[in-house]
Amino acid sequence: MLLTTGILGAILTANVATGTTAFRAYTASLNATAHKSKSIPAFARKYGLRCSACHTAWPELNAFGQAFRDNGYQLGNDRDSPIFKDASYLPIALRITPQWHEESTTNQTVDAVPGDSSVKVARRLTTHGFDLSGMDFWTAGTLYKNISFVLLFSSDPFASFHFESAFIRFDNLANSPWLNVKFGKFELDNMISEKRFLFLSNNGGVYQSYHFVPVGDNTGFGIGDNQLGVELAGHNKNSYTRYSASILSSSDGTPGLPTGNSYDAFFTFSQGFQAGALGVERIGAYWYLGQQSSLYRTSGGAPIAGSGVDNKSFYRVGLSGDLYAGPIEFMPFYMHGRDDPYLGTSTPGNQALPTGAIGPQWNAEFLETHEYLNSRFVLLQRAEIVRMSQQALPGTPTSLGDIDAYSFGGRWSPFMFSRAGLAVHAEYSLTRTVGNVPISGDGVGLPPLNPTGSVWSSSLLFAFDFAF
Amino acid sequence: MRLVYIGLLVSAVAASSTTQAQPSILGGTREDFRRYCAGCHGNAGDGQGENADYIDPKPRDFTLATFKCRSTPSGSLPTDDDLYNTVRRGLVNSNMPAWRPLADVQVHQLVEYIKTFSPRWKTEKPGTPISIPPEPAVTTDDILAGRALFQKMECWKCHGPEGRGNGPSASTLTDSKDQPIKPFNFAASSRFKCGSTNEDLYKIFMTGLDGTPMPSFADNFKGDDAWHLVHFLRTLQQEERPEKVVWQQYLSTHQGQLKPIGPDGGGQ
Amino acid sequence: MMRAIGAVVLGAIALAPSAPRTKILAGSVSGTVTFTGTPPKMKPIDMAKEPSCAKQHATPVETETVVAGPNDALGFVVVYVSAGDMGTAATQTVKFDQHGCQYLPHIQAMHTGQPLEITNSDQTSHNIHPLPSKNPEWNKSQPPGAPPIETKYDNAEFIPVKCNVHPWMHGYFAVLNTGHFAVTANDGSYTITGLPPGKYTLTAWQEKFGTQTADITITGSETAKANFVFKATPY
Repeated sequence: MLLTTGILGAILTANVATGTTAFRAYTASLNATAHKSKSIPAFARKYGLRCSACHTAWPELNAFGQAFRDNGYQLGNDRDSPIFKDASYLPIALRITPQWHEESTTNQTVDAVPGDSSVKVARRLTTHGFDLSGMDFWTAGTLYKNISFVLLFSSDPFASFHFESAFIRFDNLANSPWLNVKFGKFELDNMISEKRFLFLSNNGGVYQSYHFVPVGDNTGFGIGDNQLGVELAGHNKNSYTRYSASILSSSDGTPGLPTGNSYDAFFTFSQGFQAGALGVERIGAYWYLGQQSSLYRTSGGAPIAGSGVDNKSFYRVGLSGDLYAGPIEFMPFYMHGRDDPYLGTSTPGNQALPTGAIGPQWNAEFLETHEYLNSRFVLLQRAEIVRMSQQALPGTPTSLGDIDAYSFGGRWSPFMFSRAGLAVHAEYSLTRTVGNVPISGDGVGLPPLNPTGSVWSSSLLFAFDFAF
Repeated sequence: MRLVYIGLLVSAVAASSTTQAQPSILGGTREDFRRYCAGCHGNAGDGQGENADYIDPKPRDFTLATFKCRSTPSGSLPTDDDLYNTVRRGLVNSNMPAWRPLADVQVHQLVEYIKTFSPRWKTEKPGTPISIPPEPAVTTDDILAGRALFQKMECWKCHGPEGRGNGPSASTLTDSKDQPIKPFNFAASSRFKCGSTNEDLYKIFMTGLDGTPMPSFADNFKGDDAWHLVHFLRTLQQEERPEKVVWQQYLSTHQGQLKPIGPDGGGQ
Repeated sequence: MMRAIGAVVLGAIALAPSAPRTKILAGSVSGTVTFTGTPPKMKPIDMAKEPSCAKQHATPVETETVVAGPNDALGFVVVYVSAGDMGTAATQTVKFDQHGCQYLPHIQAMHTGQPLEITNSDQTSHNIHPLPSKNPEWNKSQPPGAPPIETKYDNAEFIPVKCNVHPWMHGYFAVLNTGHFAVTANDGSYTITGLPPGKYTLTAWQEKFGTQTADITITGSETAKANFVFKATPY
């Protein structure tokens, strides 16, 4: 729901408005209390393995789990087909996270006197209380030998559901692990997966880099959003070498053909190697080439969904790593992004660009570390920055839209069996956004009164994250 | 940027606080065992993991130091390579996965850890791997000799005359823990328990699958006998193989000349 | 010079006092093993799947879990010294034969390290599959005409033996720490000889009914008596 109205609304609204707009295309179900889970107790039940066999700390995959997933959710012992399982076995898993959290955001534009909108001031807003996350209802597995599927039905905390993932995959075509075709809605093959990561708070539960769009830019895309399309992927036998090439609809995963008739492309490649006692190290590169319609046909002045034309392009490119030093995992990430000037200034395709408008560019980096004290206890932290290197319009302050984000926390599981999972989760996250709303959605959703002012948004979370 | 530096500092502090006796992955070998293995094999390595009751065949009990896939004679301990290969390759038609993505050092350390569950490793040395003579060429005579051995050694009593695992004794077979067990069905499987090459098949019946009804025939074969049997067994499988090509050629010209394998059959 | 030394040596030998000729006292113990109550019924074995063995038995043989003899005697009970002088290891080879798709004897007792010879006198292949827990487990095929299998066991335990091809075949290797042991005959009787004076604990082991113990004392070369009575249950 949020996704469909959000994206469509953003695109349509932005095209109708003139000049700069403070509205930002809200990519993905970014409200971090909605779920992005991908750990499946059903697999553990099917194969008799503990969750920790495939997950460093669920839901993050370890090398063995990655190979299992790459192989089409098959262990390859000729026992994967559903006929080998008890007829009452259902490949279904559920996950939800009851929690207590506190959100606090500075520099929020509010009415000086409640009820009187004539005078506005900047205030810090803080709320806290007991809450629910969204829920994931997940089924995945094999339909047949070398035909696998996923259906992930996700809700926000108000039980409003959407299909986060739904695809079929033809695995090991021509009996080769190098040819696998996935078709449907799926997560992009990001080495550092936002769907299977370990942060849950509003401000910590997103990678800023994966959703960042400059101020005034109406590009409705995030590399962390699940996309609709077809992916050709391959890997060697132990999944140390991996590649993928996808063609996706330029709709950022929104079903119903709401945008135009354009397609994006995404390429990834990664290589792992053994570093002795340190572990398996992986480095990868990715490149997303996207398009977005800058103009919609209208009827009676109202834009017609699906009629997008006048496509403008954008790209995201960068490197990522998954490096181990014994029990410590380092995940460095770098991205360079650029949007077309039309997208960067939210200018409809049939109008002239504002004077001096150029394509905005930015660099984003983060370093995330996990320390696995044992298979049930992990400490987390992440530091992330986004820096505009080129603003779209001259005269824009150079730091408008810049983000600093820092999170740390821990997850502890009282048991690690193969039927269900429970993690006690504690996390603190802090973000600073210059002149804009935080990506988490905390606050009132309006930019600060002073466009160069920093908006600090923090989340403190204590949660019981369970899956069955 | 400040935040990045703070992040690195925290990581460094966390790293220095970790005390591990050995440089290892994700918390030490015992932690690796609990992470990957203990769900089936049990924290005590006795095959009594919480999932063991729901698995067939049952997970290996390391306390007995009896292993199926070895290169050493029946009753002797396997070599480190045997154990390493089993972990890497997994066991087909069982729940033992092929642990390919694990780092080499992890697998070697897990092999050493597995040995700590049985006192036999302290007093006994691993057996001497059997010597495998070079494989002879596949010929009609070679396959016919293998067929005669299949009859004479009474493999068909468990594996059935066509190797379909339906021999007269198949239904009563139990393994060494009294669990029902089925003999290998050559017609249904492209891979063997301990690998998929001719040499793997050779080792299976020349060392026996300890812990199962499959005995060692090492005392009963001489010269190239074992290779003849390997080539004949390959003709029982579905895959296109050089052995099958030779055999099909022979069968097409000698239709009906072979006595069927079984209680009355003399082989040829 | 050499001759002189030789003479001295010979002289030394001639002058050495001879060892006293004392007789080494050795007693023995004998007795009968019986049961009270109702033992389980032994079932006839259907060897139809192995015609070459079936025809060797005019009437089907019965399972041998409890071999009851006349006057409630128990055969195939292993009686051995579990405390006291353990004697020396016997070195002669004990034999175990597969004959008529049965193990002869049903239970073979031996000392740890004592050579064991396993033969196949049948026209069919057997696989000889002992199932130890303290000794290495092996499993070997023994076709008709194959040479005997020579082996031994280094750790004491009672090892069930089976043939996977012929699931009705059951036997035991009783591997013992002591050289003083015997297996009762069909009439339940046993005798253990060569026991030096001293206190002994005897253990009697029956594969279904468990163990019984008895304490005896040997003072000279007498034959002590030790009977054992097992409680039999039908199941």
